Amino acid sequence: MKKSYDVIVVGSGVVGSSIAYHLSEDKSKEILTIDKDFPLSGTSGSTQAWVWVHNKTPAWYGELNMYSAELYPFLERKIGDVEYKRTGGIAPFFSEADREKALKLAEKQAEVGIKVEVLSRDEVLEKEPALSRNIAGATYSKIDGNVNPFRLIELFVRAARKNGAQFLFYNPVTNITKENGMFKVTTQDGDYFSNQLVMAGGPWSKSLGKLLGIDVPIKQVRGQVIVTEPLSPFLSHTIGGMRQADNGEVLVGYSKEEVGYDRRSTLDIIQDTARMAIDFVPALEKVNVVRCFSGIRAMPEDGFPILGEIPGIENAYIAAMHSGITLSPLVGTVMTELLSDGETSIDLERFSLKRFDTIQSIG
Amino acid sequence: MDKSTIVCRCEEINIDEIESAINLGAHTFNDIKRLTRCGMGPCQAKCCMNLVRQIISDKTGHPLSEIKPPRMRMPLSVTRMGALAGTRASSVASVFGESAEEGETVHEEKL
Repeated sequence: MKKSYDVIVVGSGVVGSSIAYHLSEDKSKEILTIDKDFPLSGTSGSTQAWVWVHNKTPAWYGELNMYSAELYPFLERKIGDVEYKRTGGIAPFFSEADREKALKLAEKQAEVGIKVEVLSRDEVLEKEPALSRNIAGATYSKIDGNVNPFRLIELFVRAARKNGAQFLFYNPVTNITKENGMFKVTTQDGDYFSNQLVMAGGPWSKSLGKLLGIDVPIKQVRGQVIVTEPLSPFLSHTIGGMRQADNGEVLVGYSKEEVGYDRRSTLDIIQDTARMAIDFVPALEKVNVVRCFSGIRAMPEDGFPILGEIPGIENAYIAAMHSGITLSPLVGTVMTELLSDGETSIDLERFSLKRFDTIQSIG
Repeated sequence: MDKSTIVCRCEEINIDEIESAINLGAHTFNDIKRLTRCGMGPCQAKCCMNLVRQIISDKTGHPLSEIKPPRMRMPLSVTRMGALAGTRASSVASVFGESAEEGETVHEEKL
């Protein structure tokens, strides 16, 4: 296998494989993606895979998510059917007191062009009759949807390979140094060299960063999800908390725990999640649960993507974020612009790793 | 057995689909499961476990004893949602609640 490349991407999750694919599109660069495991073995394979926009705040962060959601139909035309569905998203609230907050959210999001409607109970039930009559209302937007993460990442990898990009799986990176202006990436399989290096390690970004001598302020957050037996189609929207997949299964969950890399399912959270499912959709009480899974999500300390050049290390880049599924089409696009032209169509200044230096100096 | 023989009855996955996943680079049952859905159905791999392990062993040349079974997940057999649900009110965060709570961040104030 070739040892020297224009770009090495470390990590082949939804972020890394999207960057590899978008970089490979014009076939001008030789690209190698290295992963310690196999695609979908980590975060990208353990998600409900909402493409979710409408209540991401502050509005500028919602705006970033909106741009990415808007790229999905084009992405699908390029790489194939990833089962992307723009279902519209409903985030229910159960107390009338929340309506004011909902209206404020709608007002804020409108400033950046995200159309959010605040629905009454009857309006919600008209859209989604299976929801509980106990809800008070919901925020709703047409822009939200979901995707099949298994298809998405597989097709990113297949499309990138078709364009000549190479992938190395089950191959942990153990060291990174710079020699004569090139990165030397030491892996279990041997050394690989590149001019540019992209770190796309998701929740493992912290330990990857250490290899380069940088601190990546990112936490690991476990999310647990319940999967039901296949049911006839009854949920047509993506609900904040659950969705129904093409094959009829309903996925439910919205838990967050900081337990490092522990991916076990725990009975307390599963019981809570089952209770949430029934609170949202009473009919789910009688359906069968087939399995539960959990995933470790990446969560930057301040919640927002870390994206762009790594300060102080020439030709090194980082892309680490929560909401990788929603953001991957956009992140792949802007990182390709950055690596190829040195400038991007969206200003990445506010996503720079630099911002954390300021925060540290305050503390 | 030919390539169209069904290995996973729940998800109707045949030998050819498993071999395609291995050709893509998958070496473990879990990786094949995510690519093909084999083992994700109601029986949770109770039927297909050893058939798939055998195919992996044949294709990759690794001895069967080294091919791990897929990860077992709760509940081990299908369970009613109502039986799983706790009686306490759910403490799982709500999507709406979070968007309403989040204010401007430290980072935002600095900009």
